[in-house]
Amino acid sequence: MSLYRLDAMGVTIDGRDLVRGVSLEIAPGECVALAGASGSGKSLTSLTPFGLSAGTITGSAVLEGQDLAGLDEAGLRRVRRASVGFVFQQPLTALTPHRTAAQHLTESAMQAGGARPDRNTLVAMLDAVGLADPAIRLRRYPHQLSGGERQRLMIACAIAHGPRLLIADEPVSALDAHLRAEIMALLTRLRRETGMGLLLVSHDLASLEHHADRVLVMQGGQVVEAGAAQAIARAPQHAYSQALWAATPSLKAALPDDLHVPGAPLVEAQDLTVRFAGNGLFTRPVTAVDAVDLTVHQGEAVALIGGSGSGKSTIGRAIAGLGPVSAGAVLWNGARLPARRSLEQRRMIQPVFQDPVASLDPRWRVSDIIAEPLVHLRPDLTSWGRAGLVKKALQMVELDGALADRTPAGLSGGQAQRVAIARALVAEPQMLVLDEATSALDPLVAVQIVALLKRLQRDQGIAMLVITHDLALAAQFCHRAAVLDSGRIVEQGPMAQLIAEPQAAMTRKLVAAS
Amino acid sequence: MKRIALPAAIVALIALAALVLPMLLPWSHDAIDWDHVRAAPATAGHWLGTDELGRDRLARLAVATRITLAVALAAALVSMLVGVGWGMIAGWAGGRTDELMMRIVDALYALPFMFIVIVLMVVFGRSILLVFVGIGLVEWLTMARIVRGQVMTLRHRPFVLAAEASGAPVRVILARHILPNIAGVALAYLTLNLPGIIMIESFLSFLGLGVQEPLTSLGILVKEGADDMDVAPMGLQVPGGVMVTLLVCLTLVGERLRDRFA
Amino acid sequence: MRALVLRRLLTAIPTLLLVLLASFALMRFAPGGPFDGERPLAPETRAALEAAYGLNLPMGEQFALFLQRTLTGDFGPSLVYRDFTVTQLIADSLPVSLTLGGLAILLALVLGLAAGMVAALRPGGWADETLMLVATIVTALPSFVTGPLLALIFGLWLGLLPVGGLGDGLLSAPQYWIMPVIALALPVAGAIAKLARAGLAAALAQEHIRTARARGLGTGAIIARHALRPALVPVVSYLGPAAAGLLTGAVVIETVFALPGLGRYFVQGALNRDYPLIMAVILLYAALIIAFNLIADLLYGWLDPRSRA
Repeated sequence: MSLYRLDAMGVTIDGRDLVRGVSLEIAPGECVALAGASGSGKSLTSLTPFGLSAGTITGSAVLEGQDLAGLDEAGLRRVRRASVGFVFQQPLTALTPHRTAAQHLTESAMQAGGARPDRNTLVAMLDAVGLADPAIRLRRYPHQLSGGERQRLMIACAIAHGPRLLIADEPVSALDAHLRAEIMALLTRLRRETGMGLLLVSHDLASLEHHADRVLVMQGGQVVEAGAAQAIARAPQHAYSQALWAATPSLKAALPDDLHVPGAPLVEAQDLTVRFAGNGLFTRPVTAVDAVDLTVHQGEAVALIGGSGSGKSTIGRAIAGLGPVSAGAVLWNGARLPARRSLEQRRMIQPVFQDPVASLDPRWRVSDIIAEPLVHLRPDLTSWGRAGLVKKALQMVELDGALADRTPAGLSGGQAQRVAIARALVAEPQMLVLDEATSALDPLVAVQIVALLKRLQRDQGIAMLVITHDLALAAQFCHRAAVLDSGRIVEQGPMAQLIAEPQAAMTRKLVAAS
Repeated sequence: MKRIALPAAIVALIALAALVLPMLLPWSHDAIDWDHVRAAPATAGHWLGTDELGRDRLARLAVATRITLAVALAAALVSMLVGVGWGMIAGWAGGRTDELMMRIVDALYALPFMFIVIVLMVVFGRSILLVFVGIGLVEWLTMARIVRGQVMTLRHRPFVLAAEASGAPVRVILARHILPNIAGVALAYLTLNLPGIIMIESFLSFLGLGVQEPLTSLGILVKEGADDMDVAPMGLQVPGGVMVTLLVCLTLVGERLRDRFA
Repeated sequence: MRALVLRRLLTAIPTLLLVLLASFALMRFAPGGPFDGERPLAPETRAALEAAYGLNLPMGEQFALFLQRTLTGDFGPSLVYRDFTVTQLIADSLPVSLTLGGLAILLALVLGLAAGMVAALRPGGWADETLMLVATIVTALPSFVTGPLLALIFGLWLGLLPVGGLGDGLLSAPQYWIMPVIALALPVAGAIAKLARAGLAAALAQEHIRTARARGLGTGAIIARHALRPALVPVVSYLGPAAAGLLTGAVVIETVFALPGLGRYFVQGALNRDYPLIMAVILLYAALIIAFNLIADLLYGWLDPRSRA
């Protein structure tokens, strides 16, 4: 007896068919996952039958024997209230900021007509989702909780009224790698305990193998492959599924053996400390980076891995000369870099940032963007000379020269990031600082960028400091790794060793999550 | 963009009329036609009639509109220069400098500026220069706050950091990266400021402190019209209508610009 | 919360001092004085008057004297209304102005919030377009036009309401308040309507509204619990400027409707260089605006807990 069933379901918005022919079935206690890149239609498929998107459905969607297709808004509201729970991707924006955790929980518990829960019940609800110190958390506002805590709160709210079906739209995509496994495990546990069905939307393919019973792979609004989760994970049949799986770095893949051989030490951080003053009269200063020692050799790629708030971006900025240094030093070829760097010193280390669109001036053209470092750092060049180097840089990042006259609005995410990389390379630096350079990109695009970085490293021998929260990603092309937790380096060493024998607790969590 | 076109066109039309009409009309704005005092519209070459002193209403209206628009633009420019400058420095510098500069803005915000302007007017006489400097000094605070907010957001955008990494000096970054990206917002708020400035000017005229004879302004015409309302309602309706139309259209244009850029 | 109040009060003191200094300096260093009336005074009379009012002391001493007196609430006698002290004048007229302003802001809030919210429920609909156009027009009407217009229509032509004055007591005859309050409130109501509409429309577009809908809540509950507070944020941040607007508007309305309020005295005082009166009024108004800003900030903290941090 199926709990939820879609038969040739489609989604139409403004007359356009964005999703076509989706069929799936969820039995109580089962988890069915929709996988695919962004734009594949998976969110629309999961949310539209319940009236939570801008579209309308065609075909049939049946929940516990009731057909959703014919219901009006009031009817759908009744269904949402009583039988379904929802978990969304960004808990910070999905939870009303001016209501406390207790208020959220109470509202959710009462939405199906239940009685007002007393304090002990609320504490028990938070406990059931693994939230520490639930009594204290009840009084907190969403922005006062950490990312993982917020998502647990959202899950607690979603199940508070005892729904038969839980729909989770990218529940862990916005979380750090080491938290993802925990949240997914929580969802699986809840599913087994309550017999709830789970419709999971995700592009985190690694976790689907362990947590989903069946997987449907979607591309361009249609299902290209469907089957048992483990079967698809191990041997995807369709070309798109294969590409998708290949694009997800996993530690099971073999480490590369063709990396550039590193040379002498190039950049060293010695005892690097960064403190931020509290703002206003009454907040205390924060130590974001605490006595960090880090060395990057010529031609070497070093990964700096940690969760959000661990201080990794702060270190990256300090090393690139873009952020403050409170104590300690950054050395270049053994010589200390001053607070105000010379143009030559600036030229040697160049940054690439996470958000490709925000890292390009929206009003400038691509050719001007890439030429900017040359204007200041190579004043010896004429505009002819600059144009030549810009062209060379575009070729290096495999971009068509025709893009040179566009503004960033006309570029895709991947193209924009290539432009950012071209800008970083044009003045011929010896080291790149890459701050989460692929995190904001679609997985398939990210794969291409990583391949590009690998190639650059091999052909140009550029040193790289790769800042990321994804250990598996870094393992693909980094020689060594340093693990950061709360501003301190807890472990450092060759990549292979770190993965095989993690010592620190944080490292072990990261390895387990990948 | 369509929605800007109509109100913007109306404003342009009014401005054009104000500029051109006085040259075409036989009567100047302060010439007195002794034979036709309080004349009805369309008598003896007075399209809108004459006022209680025998002056041609249409000519006065045109000149008044010119002056009001000129004062408003001048004051708005003053407020924009000061406001953008202040906001850019505070937003870029951050930290203590920003705190100090914004505290000053907060303190000045609390001043009943209207009253200070009145005091200034009373004390220093009634030159038109003082009028628009005074008004400009009232309006720059909001512009400063808005520009400072925008600059602060941009300051930490990666493309600004990338420019720093490219070795660009601060003044180049401000001129070529920051300024172009706040121009839209600044323009929008400049346009939104204009109605407020026109209201302030009319308020000063109400108190007898604004633009002085022989010049005239929309505020003065409206005040005179209001005083005379029961006798010659048209003296209020026409300048009042022009003023309200100008204000409404400027507000609409400003809002559309703001929605587009901010 | 306490930190905020403290910080505001600390900023308030230099502000008020600045106000005092500026107005003092302007008054004293400007051409003309309170006794430059239409009939020139005999030199001895003038000297005597000036001595009586302490106007012949050096500037520094005058200011120090003024500061001292201010702290004790003694502003001295009015230079123009010779039989009254400034404090008396203020005490008599402030209640009128406060009532006028208070009623006006209440009316403005009620009208503005109602209009704004109705408009925001169906953005782009005809109610939205009409209400917002009306709001824009209303903010473009100067109060010295709407005041006399209302007086003309309802007072003279229709004879429904009294045209000026206050009647016997302060609130004894509400019909005297109707037109002045409406005329004063209209522009502020228009501004509030636009801000409320923008605020609610923006709040309803937030992601957490989708979560509220996902919980199966009805429109009323969604707005009341999840959208109302963020919607009010732009309205609250307008409270400070609204206070300033009401104060200036009150000057006009009091003059037009012959209400014995503070604004009228201020204008007379400014034109006649009644120094003590002017400074006291400026000080008072500055304090009022600071108070309004403080209230606005405190409301902010309640509306958006994230700003409390």
